[in-house]
Amino acid sequence: MSTKILTLCNIISRPVNVLLKQNNVTPNLKTNFSTTSVSCISFFNKLPAEKLWKSVTSVSNAGAKKGRGRGTGRIRIRDLNRGQVIGVGKINMLWPGLSAPVIRGRELLKQQRLPDDQERLEKLTKIRDSMTKFRRIRLNPIERGWSGSKLPGRSLGPPDPIGEDEFTGFDTKVLQLRSLLIMKGSLGRTRNFQAMVVTGNGQGLAGFGLGRAKEAPAALRKAKNRAGQKLMHFEIYNGHTIYHDFFTAFGKTKIFVQKKNEGYGLMCHRAIKEICQAIGIKDLRAKVEGSNNLQHIVKAFFIGLLQQRTHQQLAEEKKLHLVEYKDENENFPKVVASPSEVRTKDQIQKNETLDFTQYVMKDKVILKKRKFPRFYETMPHYKVYLKKYEKYRNHEKIRLNLKTEYGEVKSFLTDKYPEKAEQEA
Amino acid sequence: MSLIFRRLARNNPRNIVTDAQILIISSRKLSLVPSLYDGDQDPAPKFFSSNVQILLKRLTRPDFNKVFRKRTNHGFSVLKTPSYKFLTNEELEEEIAKANEKADRLLQMPPVVKIQQHIEDVLSNDPALIGYDTAKYIFTDITFGVANEHRIIIERDPDGTLRSCDHDVRKRLNQAYFPLNGRKLREPLMFADIEKLNSLLDREKYEFVLDRACVQYEPDEPSYQRVTSITYQHVDSKSKYELLRSTRHFGPMTFYLTWHKSMDNLMLELIQGGAVREAVLLSALRQDIHGDVANGDVARTLAQQILPTPVQLTKPETLTEEDIQLDSKCVECIEKYITGTSSMKSQQELALQGFREYYQQLIDLSRGLKKAHGKQ
Repeated sequence: MSTKILTLCNIISRPVNVLLKQNNVTPNLKTNFSTTSVSCISFFNKLPAEKLWKSVTSVSNAGAKKGRGRGTGRIRIRDLNRGQVIGVGKINMLWPGLSAPVIRGRELLKQQRLPDDQERLEKLTKIRDSMTKFRRIRLNPIERGWSGSKLPGRSLGPPDPIGEDEFTGFDTKVLQLRSLLIMKGSLGRTRNFQAMVVTGNGQGLAGFGLGRAKEAPAALRKAKNRAGQKLMHFEIYNGHTIYHDFFTAFGKTKIFVQKKNEGYGLMCHRAIKEICQAIGIKDLRAKVEGSNNLQHIVKAFFIGLLQQRTHQQLAEEKKLHLVEYKDENENFPKVVASPSEVRTKDQIQKNETLDFTQYVMKDKVILKKRKFPRFYETMPHYKVYLKKYEKYRNHEKIRLNLKTEYGEVKSFLTDKYPEKAEQEA
Repeated sequence: MSLIFRRLARNNPRNIVTDAQILIISSRKLSLVPSLYDGDQDPAPKFFSSNVQILLKRLTRPDFNKVFRKRTNHGFSVLKTPSYKFLTNEELEEEIAKANEKADRLLQMPPVVKIQQHIEDVLSNDPALIGYDTAKYIFTDITFGVANEHRIIIERDPDGTLRSCDHDVRKRLNQAYFPLNGRKLREPLMFADIEKLNSLLDREKYEFVLDRACVQYEPDEPSYQRVTSITYQHVDSKSKYELLRSTRHFGPMTFYLTWHKSMDNLMLELIQGGAVREAVLLSALRQDIHGDVANGDVARTLAQQILPTPVQLTKPETLTEEDIQLDSKCVECIEKYITGTSSMKSQQELALQGFREYYQQLIDLSRGLKKAHGKQ
């Protein structure tokens, strides 16, 4: 906008100059006065700033409904006089009684010209431009959610206490916050906010809630308190993971969840990650297939967790011992659950699924995608590179060994045959 | 050795004569003098005899939780996902039998053998070769499939002598041509520098030291016996036997202490811990090795009765009549050992008295329980 106004200024000033130049041509007059009366009257200096701004920024009613005048390229109203003070101008004059006191000490100040301030214009433009820049809301890195200052992924604290029962140790995370448009008979199209949150204490208790309200904070509060009312308890295996792999679905959303060993972490959709943290699950892998609808993912995952069976239940179902083999324990057979009565080999049917993973996944198989070679590995230069660097492949190790042995890169032959450069020196 | 002397002095008031000398030794900071198997007697036949092997394995008190514990990540940044199986009773028994075999392999004891002798075997003397070269020539037979100890490695000296190489040269060349995983060509600093070794021992990294010594050295090397001897003495002086239990090093340590007749601190620890059966086994071990235990034959026969019973990893809560009978026999046997052979009489007697009182309470409790349940 400012540029527009400035260009307007130029347009106006140019005809004045032109007029003056034309007048210069008259030989009789030595002065540069113009004899014709110039009336510099246009809408620009006739109308107040407010109206001028409105003419630039306003959008028609129909346009506003379409969303014009919003988002990128939007013109904002600015105060172009910002930083300007009466009595202070391009020429740095001291005006007693305007820009300075009349009497300083015992001295009566006189009107006088002070040395020019070179940086004045720069300062003014800086102050003027500071308004237009987009100011980002600064959030502490710990408080940040999934994306910038957006709410999803951010913590809301524990649900509000009910009577005297407080939710100690609970924390709520926003999973989704979106606006919905609803048609109403009397009001037409109105906007509602919908929030989905998960709350949990990290020790097996967790619940999710959905809240709708006219304002976002109200929707979040409703969702949070509803989540606090719908807590569920989940068993956690060894305090770090789920009991077994499982498949779960809701609508078109399918999730394959895999149990993992300690230290693996949470490799899954960010919403599932937040849920796991709320429950207290530390290691797991989940693959979402089909629809990415967040609410469906949350519901499917909760259903899957609730349908888990503990090892004892699995052993009782199969009437067989359930034995765990861990690679780090030299595959020592650790019996994790034994049924009350064990079947013999003859009692097991021939077509029965005995494979543990197949049994708990209910015969669903996770698609393992084939790994293709990297784009450069098929190129001829890669072969050249491999050949060229084969002889250097152990150098790093050797260098390290020499450093541990001699404190620097040298060998037992260095003293006998020193480097040439050293010899000359 | 100083330690052994000191303990003798502490417990035997008869040794007044050497008291003055011993005081000088014991007033120094804990400095352990290694004692190698370099005497006239060879420890190997005793160590490898089946009696001793069985006793040592039993004294190791293998706890499968510790034997199969997690040691490393096996080179993976993240641990592998555990696998699960549904097993019937028979299959489970098979799996447990396999695991027992694996435990045997993991607990296989490093051999205890006599220190190696120098190889002085001149093959030929050719004075014509004197001055041919200033360097030694070493010839190694690198035929595939020959064991390292049987490999032909000979050297031709500048003075024309052709002879077999000594052990240190043999080891270097074997390692150069057929490298063993984990063995370094040069002695690691933790063994070469006594300060570094002491710092490790003070931090109680006994198993690490012993494991690395097994990789780096051959069992008949003087360095191996020096390192292990210092470590065993350190464990003994700190009474940290529990750190080596359920590992393959407990057997050789017990053998070492018994061989040098300084196993009374271990005996004391066993009695204090209430493991009287193992104390009897220890005295039977001493009888097998030295044959100087008072009523040693009783200990031996008792050991035969103890060996079939299951290993007691924790203190029992209830007792059967057979247990009581066996344990009371054990207590009698140990009492005789203490009066006859022990060099730590007063402490061991005190510990045994403590055990007796505790055991009497346990007997009363289990008999009372039996009565309360109405069983006879």
